[in-house]
Amino acid sequence: MEETISLQDLFQTLKKRIVLIISLTIIAMGIAAVASYYFMTPIYQASTQILVNQKNDQNNQFNTQEIQMNLQLINTYNVIITSPAILSKVIDNLDLNMTPAQLKGQLTVNSAQNSQVVNLTVQDTEHFRAVDIANTTALVFQEEIQKLMNVDNVNILSPAVNVDFPSPVKPQKLLNIAIAAVVGLMLGVGLAFLLEYLDTTVKTEQDIEELVGLPVLGIVGKFPNEILQNNATKPLTARKKEKAHAN
Amino acid sequence: MLIKRKKKVLQKAARILVAHQEPKSIISEQFRTIRTSIDFSTPDNDLETLLVTSAAPSEGKSTIAANIAVVYAQNGKKVLLVDADLRKPTVHYTFSLMNNVGLTNLLAKNTTLQVAVKKSEVEGLDVLVCGSIPPNPAELLASKSMDNVLEQLKEQYDLIIFDAPPLLSVTDGQVLAQKCDGAILVVSSGSTEKENIVKAKEALLLTKTPILGVVLNNFNLTKDHYYYNYYRMEE
Repeated sequence: MEETISLQDLFQTLKKRIVLIISLTIIAMGIAAVASYYFMTPIYQASTQILVNQKNDQNNQFNTQEIQMNLQLINTYNVIITSPAILSKVIDNLDLNMTPAQLKGQLTVNSAQNSQVVNLTVQDTEHFRAVDIANTTALVFQEEIQKLMNVDNVNILSPAVNVDFPSPVKPQKLLNIAIAAVVGLMLGVGLAFLLEYLDTTVKTEQDIEELVGLPVLGIVGKFPNEILQNNATKPLTARKKEKAHAN
Repeated sequence: MLIKRKKKVLQKAARILVAHQEPKSIISEQFRTIRTSIDFSTPDNDLETLLVTSAAPSEGKSTIAANIAVVYAQNGKKVLLVDADLRKPTVHYTFSLMNNVGLTNLLAKNTTLQVAVKKSEVEGLDVLVCGSIPPNPAELLASKSMDNVLEQLKEQYDLIIFDAPPLLSVTDGQVLAQKCDGAILVVSSGSTEKENIVKAKEALLLTKTPILGVVLNNFNLTKDHYYYNYYRMEE
């Protein structure tokens, strides 16, 4: 037998399980909120900007080719910054208890397209440490690059600064809650359809027509609560008498 | 354990005679609709014996049977409701009657019709309760004695409604159906398995008794259902 699903049926299914869907969404949001407010370690971020620019001693003429070369150098620098050569020095300087590889994971180096400015971003559980790492890395890099490449074209544009009340960049609470809401919603909808699919009971007149092709003589609704209660509390005859009195 | 106990309580509880107690309620109106549908499905009006059964237990057979009996009685017919569920009789609870003498005693020729058939408080509706529970219900219902009793009852009543056991549990329903002019299958919305209703229909088809149709019980009437609105307005 071919099973057809109409949009109305889908909508009905969702409507029937609306409580389930909404409660799942709210529960997921709640879990995300609790997790991001109480259990996730906040991560702070600090960044420095490094300017890569060759000092022009010979002539003051504007040289496009030189800028182009600098831009290409930046790519090399990006790799150098995160190399163990630099990072192990940073670790030594700051007495950090981690390997260069671990530190590398905290660092992000990027530069805007065709820009000579390199952004060095550090994430850490402590804001002051993130600032220290960012600044030290920039300094170490500035020093080391002179030895490594025999050039003196790196300047620190803006060092990372300590703020009194830093706000963490992670966890992003609202984003987490929003993601949880979407996940919860999807889960709820999925579960609603699953339950509907697993439910093999007869529901409507159409079900009967489809299954056995017998006419439906009539439908009987669920007994309203007032009738059920009346019936449960008093025996039939007592109720009749009462009614007679009332009339 | 809990479920078991709950089921037992349900079995003992009286079925609600909505059509009698609350004749103006929506549900009573639905029973009258069923009555009309039955009348339409037997235009020649030769329906003398009606079987009410279902696929599985607890789908509302007894409630439906009793209320259909009531609405037919209200329509001026002389109706007899027979508790043909000789394994788990409940009709006597519904009508607050004693289950001392009834159908089984009639079949065993221990008593007479006058004694066994009891008047109900609904005018025009008489009740034949089950009587003492026999060890061999299917054989009793298939017996010659049953045919004799039926003949006698048919002379006295316009309509005899049988409250039968579930089709898929025991064979009694099929045995009874053979003796009836028509059968109604009760289906409980949200609890009758789709598979079971197909099996029940096949079981009934074997008996060659015409199936008048299905009554869909426990249907969730929402407020925006047309039945609901229409009758709410009148009240």
